[in-house]
Amino acid sequence: MPIIKAHNLHRKFGKDDLVTHVLKGIDFEVEQGEFVAIMGKSGAGKSTLMYQLSVLDEPTEGTVNIDGTEVVNLSESDRTKFRLHTLGYVFQDYALVPDLSAEENVMIPLLMRGLRWDTAKQQARESIDEVGMAGKYLNLPSELSGGEQQRVAIARAVAGKPKILFADEPTANLDSISGTQVIDLIAKLNQEDKQTVVMVTHEREYAMGCDRIFQMEDGLVVNIEKLR
Amino acid sequence: MLGFRQIQRANFWTTALIIFVMMLTFLNLIAVSGILVGLIVGSERAVQEKSLGDIVITPLENEEQILQTETIRRILDTLPEVTSYSIRYQEGMQVTANYKTRRDFNIEPNTIGSQAVGIDPIAENNVTGLSENVVEGEYLNPDESGYILIGALNLDRYTAGFADITGSLTDVYPGDSVRATINGASREFIVKGVVDAKAGGVASFIYLPEKELRRLSNSASRDADEIAIRLADKSPETALVVKSVLVEQGIDSFARVRTFQEALPKFITDIKQTFNILGTFIGAVGIIVASITIFIIIFINAISRRQQIGILKGIGIDRRAIEVAYVLQSAFYALTGSLLGALVTYGILIGYFDRNPIDFPFSDGILVAEPIGTLYRFIILFIITLFAGFIPAWMIVKQNTLNSILGRK
Repeated sequence: MPIIKAHNLHRKFGKDDLVTHVLKGIDFEVEQGEFVAIMGKSGAGKSTLMYQLSVLDEPTEGTVNIDGTEVVNLSESDRTKFRLHTLGYVFQDYALVPDLSAEENVMIPLLMRGLRWDTAKQQARESIDEVGMAGKYLNLPSELSGGEQQRVAIARAVAGKPKILFADEPTANLDSISGTQVIDLIAKLNQEDKQTVVMVTHEREYAMGCDRIFQMEDGLVVNIEKLR
Repeated sequence: MLGFRQIQRANFWTTALIIFVMMLTFLNLIAVSGILVGLIVGSERAVQEKSLGDIVITPLENEEQILQTETIRRILDTLPEVTSYSIRYQEGMQVTANYKTRRDFNIEPNTIGSQAVGIDPIAENNVTGLSENVVEGEYLNPDESGYILIGALNLDRYTAGFADITGSLTDVYPGDSVRATINGASREFIVKGVVDAKAGGVASFIYLPEKELRRLSNSASRDADEIAIRLADKSPETALVVKSVLVEQGIDSFARVRTFQEALPKFITDIKQTFNILGTFIGAVGIIVASITIFIIIFINAISRRQQIGILKGIGIDRRAIEVAYVLQSAFYALTGSLLGALVTYGILIGYFDRNPIDFPFSDGILVAEPIGTLYRFIILFIITLFAGFIPAWMIVKQNTLNSILGRK
């Protein structure tokens, strides 16, 4: 059974005559442990699709089932809880809290899940070690390079062992070396931990390690390319 | 953790400025009403120390004098709590200054009508320290006769023209002779000194030894008009205890016994309450200003971190946790500011104003800050500050998560 199953997704913005129809009836499925990429030109609707799948936005029409839960009609509070317990996120601009150290950034969602301070700290450090940032637990984001910050963001996203990791153009703000390292890290998590990953990217070279590529154009998935 | 780290890693000078504003707000809340009330308390204290004493005995309602004054004196002599007392006799007196030099009887005589107080100079000085209030000349010597002290408010140079209604003596200085008249009987006295004090009627009376007053008024009665009593412990509680002892001894059959606080005129307590309300009103304005300051600070802080807040919500952080972080910040500012304000108030200001009272025209103002009142004001400030921190945080946090992340309106 697919871990993500979206049917007839529509997303419109605006009112009356000024409506923009960004998603025009998309069906989308991802299997457990799969690594998929959503690609397309700017304005194709790839990020909007990811926001619907990752419960950050609500579709105008259609259904989204994640790990057996219909998420479209959940309350705001339930959506927040669902995201905390089931999903992990990596944003293109790292999105770390500047006042918190690397370790504390990773600890926040763990503490929110109800873990005790010591356990959260230990789990955060393990996760930071896993992304190759051992020894930089106490560094503030401002003391890390862009690539390092994105690694911490990945550590934060996967520390709680989410069912699905969503990555929204995680290499967009990185140089090519750091970008490759980040993609390799995500791929490693997918291969070694069987982590389901949905990644939005507009660079094909970064999508080559995926199982499938969903090619979008004008609000529709126009092609699904199976790489593995 | 979020709130704590936000405070810990905030710009030091920004934090210091916010705390300084909160401290000023606290001081505004405490000190403004404290000084207003202190104005009256300072006046009360002066009346207690320089006029009424800790307990005052006055005639019963239907009597003109205190009955059995000698009996009362004997009772007072037996009480260990009483350190001193002054028995006062009062008569209306007319004082003329230019009776020797006035050649033209069409010119207004240099005369005033005043209240003469007959005292035992030593006893009076023990109770009220009257000699300390002599601003010109010298205090009365009990071995001398023919001398008086004039209250400054009877003299033109002290009243600056506002004594037109009551009149005032011009060009009268220590060493000058004046003629005192009571009930048609006159006698010449030499002005020994001038008395001035911001308490009750101290500066409006004319003082002379009680024997000379009784002689001039041709009164054989030893019954007095007022007895001011000084206690070893000046607290209102002790005054009540001693008053009850006096009442038990039956003094209330001869006279009216009141503690200093009971004897205070009602208008003074009314003014005190009025000033308290006024101070609270001014303090409330201060609180509103501080609330707006905190609101703006937290709002700017939150709005500048709108994307970060959106991302925190996006990764599943409960909005309450984010709001609490900002409320904690506000609480920190309020607590630290108030604590510093309290330290300044109780550690510096109260002691300073006690040693150096503010020189108001009718009172020496001190700073009054009752701990319980301060606590109430702090609680109000604290709660309002929490709201001022919560509302902007709530406004930002409630925004659509995705819009916050993407920076959309």
